[in-house]
Parts: sequence; C-alpha cells; structure tokens
Amino acid sequence: MERNRTYECMCVLDNREVRKGWQPLKDAVSALFTKHGAQVLSSRRWDERRLAYPINLQLRGTFLLTYFKADTQQVANIRRDMQFSDSVLRSLIVSCTEVPAEAYQPEAEFDVNAVQVEDIRSAAPAPAPAAAEESAEAEAPAEAETAPVAEEKS
Amino acid sequence: MSNFGGGGGGGERGGKRGKFSRFAAPRKLVEPEEALDYKNVAYLSKFVTPNGKIQSRKRTGFSGQNQRILAEAIKRARIIGLMPFVGRG
Repeated sequence: MERNRTYECMCVLDNREVRKGWQPLKDAVSALFTKHGAQVLSSRRWDERRLAYPINLQLRGTFLLTYFKADTQQVANIRRDMQFSDSVLRSLIVSCTEVPAEAYQPEAEFDVNAVQVEDIRSAAPAPAPAAAEESAEAEAPAEAETAPVAEEKS
Repeated sequence: MSNFGGGGGGGERGGKRGKFSRFAAPRKLVEPEEALDYKNVAYLSKFVTPNGKIQSRKRTGFSGQNQRILAEAIKRARIIGLMPFVGRG
C-alpha cells in the first residue's frame, strides 16, 4: 500500500566535498531522494559548525536540511543510500507534519572557500592537559606505589 | 494492625506528609519556553548535566509528555552530532 508522507532530513556533509562546490553536492544529495521517487520540497543549507564529536575523523561539518515527500516504504532505501554516500557523514530522517515557511526562503549565499576543514589527525593536541598530567605524575609517584587502591577510589 | 501510619513518630523527612506523596501539594508543571526541537541546541543544552546526562523530570519540571519530547530531541541532536553523548562537548 502506497502512502506518501512528509519527512525532514538533516544531513551532515563533509566540508572537503563542500569546498569542491556547493551546488553540485546539493544536487547529488537531492538525487538520493529523487532516485527513490521522492519529491524534494525544500533543500537549503542550515549551518556550518563544529561537531560535538568527530565523525569520520572530521571535526566540522555543513548541515543540509531537506524536506521531502516520499512513500513510507522508500524511506529505508533513502536512508541506506545516505549511509553509502561518501559526502554524507551522518543523516537523520524524521517525519514532520508540515514544512515551515522559512524552509522555502532563498538560501543565503556563502563563500565555499571560507569553509574550514578540520581533521582530527591534523588538529594539534592540546598542550595544557599533557603538562598537567606530567606534573601530577612527578608529584605523586610514591603515593601511587604505596596506596593504589585508595587513589582509585578518590 | 496496619502499618501505614509511618511509625507514628514521624520520619526523618518531616512526618507523614513527607512520606506520602498523596498528601503533598501537587507540583507545578513547567512549560517549555522554546520549541523542543533537535535543532534548538542552545535550549536543549540547559537540560543536560555537565556529564551529558538528560535531567530528570524532577529537575526540568516538565510534564511527562514534554519530558519525552525533550529526551527524544536530545537523542536526535546527539545522533546528528550537534550535542555530545558525554560531557559538555
């Protein structure tokens, strides 16, 4: 039984792909929906921000918010294609009752070259905690040998 | 021979009223000031402990329905990478 519903999809896009070109990337993501017979109602850049935790070694990502109408049976296929896509780091598809009016507003232009790419491997380690650990080890080596159990509890 | 009186001498928490919730005054429910949406990270962060745990209804003051919506929104924000699973991020 076919049953169309409106869904909201938030995708985290790889900033390395975003720097190559925003419109082609957006079209490629939209193609993932249309491939399965979905109708894209709105697709616009939501934000570019630092991620709360690294995803695929990336510390920053561009968020793309898409509203689409699709058959309920096809959502699993769309979700699977999202996971296979290299440019999509993470995606979340939730059903929504109505599309907000701001989704239809034109997208604000932004400079693709200004998008920062932060990799967990290239990010320099913070020196302060390492220095603190060294000083703590230097201060209490004897205590650690004498009473290791008490130190674990505290 | 029922033992529902609470021991007669009152409890550590101030007698019968403290022990039985049915005697206590009903708690005032708090309405959310903003939309409980996973995209509204700044507002959702208020209901997370420094360790990243979702606060209980006792602390948020939300109704059961709003507390469920809050928990779902925080979990969605975590999945998409907007909020951390552990810590402040």
